[in-house]
Amino acid sequence: MITAIWDQLKGLYSLIVGMIVTGRYFFAPQKTVHYPRKVVDPEDLAAYRGPLELTRGKDDESRTRCISCQMCAKGCPGNCIKVVKGTEGKLPSTWVYDFSLCCLCGACVEVCPASAIDFSHRLYLVVTSREELVMDLLADLKERVAANPLKPAPDVPAAAGQKAADAPSAGAAKNGEV
Amino acid sequence: MSNFSFLNPFGVLDEPGTYMGDFYSHNFSKKAKEGTVILNLGPQHPSTHGVLRVLVELYGEYVMRSEPVLGYLHRSHEKMAEHKTAYGFLPNMGRVDYLNAIGWNWAYAASCEQLAGIQVPERAEYLRVISAELNRISSHLVWWGAFVLDLGAFTPILYAFDDREDLCDILQRVTGSRLTMNYFRFGGVGADGDERFFRLIREFIPRMRERLKMYRALVTDNVILRRRLEGIGSMDADMCLRYGATGPILRAAGVRRDVRKAIPYGIYDRFDYEIPVADRCDNFGRYWVRVEEIEQSLRIVEQAVAQIPEGKHIVDKAPKPAWKIPAGESVFSVEGARGEISVHVISDGGKSPYRVKLRAPGFSNLALFAEAAEGTLLADAIATLGSLDLVIPEIDR
Ligand code: SF4
Ligand code: SF4
Repeated sequence: MITAIWDQLKGLYSLIVGMIVTGRYFFAPQKTVHYPRKVVDPEDLAAYRGPLELTRGKDDESRTRCISCQMCAKGCPGNCIKVVKGTEGKLPSTWVYDFSLCCLCGACVEVCPASAIDFSHRLYLVVTSREELVMDLLADLKERVAANPLKPAPDVPAAAGQKAADAPSAGAAKNGEV
Repeated sequence: MSNFSFLNPFGVLDEPGTYMGDFYSHNFSKKAKEGTVILNLGPQHPSTHGVLRVLVELYGEYVMRSEPVLGYLHRSHEKMAEHKTAYGFLPNMGRVDYLNAIGWNWAYAASCEQLAGIQVPERAEYLRVISAELNRISSHLVWWGAFVLDLGAFTPILYAFDDREDLCDILQRVTGSRLTMNYFRFGGVGADGDERFFRLIREFIPRMRERLKMYRALVTDNVILRRRLEGIGSMDADMCLRYGATGPILRAAGVRRDVRKAIPYGIYDRFDYEIPVADRCDNFGRYWVRVEEIEQSLRIVEQAVAQIPEGKHIVDKAPKPAWKIPAGESVFSVEGARGEISVHVISDGGKSPYRVKLRAPGFSNLALFAEAAEGTLLADAIATLGSLDLVIPEIDR
């Protein structure tokens, strides 16, 4: 009889302890990022692997650094890269990437001798069909360049003032959504 | 009363094409006793943690017999290895067991390195230990939450995922992904940890210790949990050895076997930590061992972060994607979150490995279920199934 009562009390006590713990967390700050009202801190995304993107050229930032060497296409375990060499020097004429086959392993990024590709941090990518996952990265690069031309091509003279005005906004855009 | 089965309500058993259910349930129900019901638990049942299917023969609330049916998540990883380059198979390793990706990364990478005689730099060894132990903690946290969820308590899984979120953030910092991590490379790791990575770990360790105290107050000391687990689902040392069970299940049966201590790989011999061993064989023993392991993993990570030397995170001239493994064979075992992971690589020097055999701990661990669940209540059988810490993709591979 006494043990039965004692058991009940012990059970009640462990329940109360549990309730106190839960109650405290009722008022604790949340860790959930309530998208779309909030977005993930870009600093946390520094190493995040989103779909591939072509990096901008060293001298001419509107161009790709790719030299069409095919190392990435050969090393890719998913066969998701197709690079075709164009007529203009070593530059590629086609750079198509199938994100639906990509396992984000990083082999292509690591093997590229020209550091021409990198993972983007596009976390909020949404598409409605599989076809949209096949991305033309040259067009994508062109779009990004059009959105914020960091450094104009050397043969196009640009006003120094405009360059200075562009630089900070371009930098900010690169951190946030590229 | 005649044999009644939901799969075979009309009692027609042996004429092909006339019975209901599939091959497995048909054969299973042949041995059914008088007055029992045959039930399919899964493959879409939430408490089977994925797509495991268990056929159970019930007499009232009691499980008379049971038989796991596998193969619903089979992705032919071993076969894939024969068609990919050795390097190209690395990303598969993160997908064999999605909760303990780093453990598998390690087993495969080290097996190939052993064959090719590649020496891993000091700093990479430390990064390997740190990531593997953090991954072990995150795997145990998911198990902990899901296991308590099986028993009917919903809140703890939210706390477990809260902490796991931190771990995902930390691991994402170096691996680039949050779940199917592909971090190890032949001869090192994929990326070096930066200052923020180590700071996040240093912040995480004391916070996790506090949380473990909270877990104890909330769950471990809870009377309902204790009554649900203590003395249920007995798996003694003899039974574990018979079925080849490893990991926390074996240690909960009182056998002190952990690959990290038994065959120290990497730099595990440099750290001061204990192997939790329980001598009670029941569900609570397995629960206790895993919760203790979180604490011990924290100790290892703490020491590793304090000792990590400067240097390279990967060897110079690390194998490129087209690298061919030299001919020969090698086996490497590591201690994963669920038990002993072994990867056996055989190479004939060609483009792809000739054969890669993956030894998944979950497969052997699951084999204990049928015997342990015999004669228990159905709800206790679910608890026993949960205590095995099954990850079905790993079992099917
Ligand atoms: S990340 Fe891996 S799978 Fe994706 S494109 Fe690069 S090499 Fe191919
Ligand atoms: S490896 Fe780099 S340079 Fe070579 S084709 Fe691929 S992206 Fe271009």
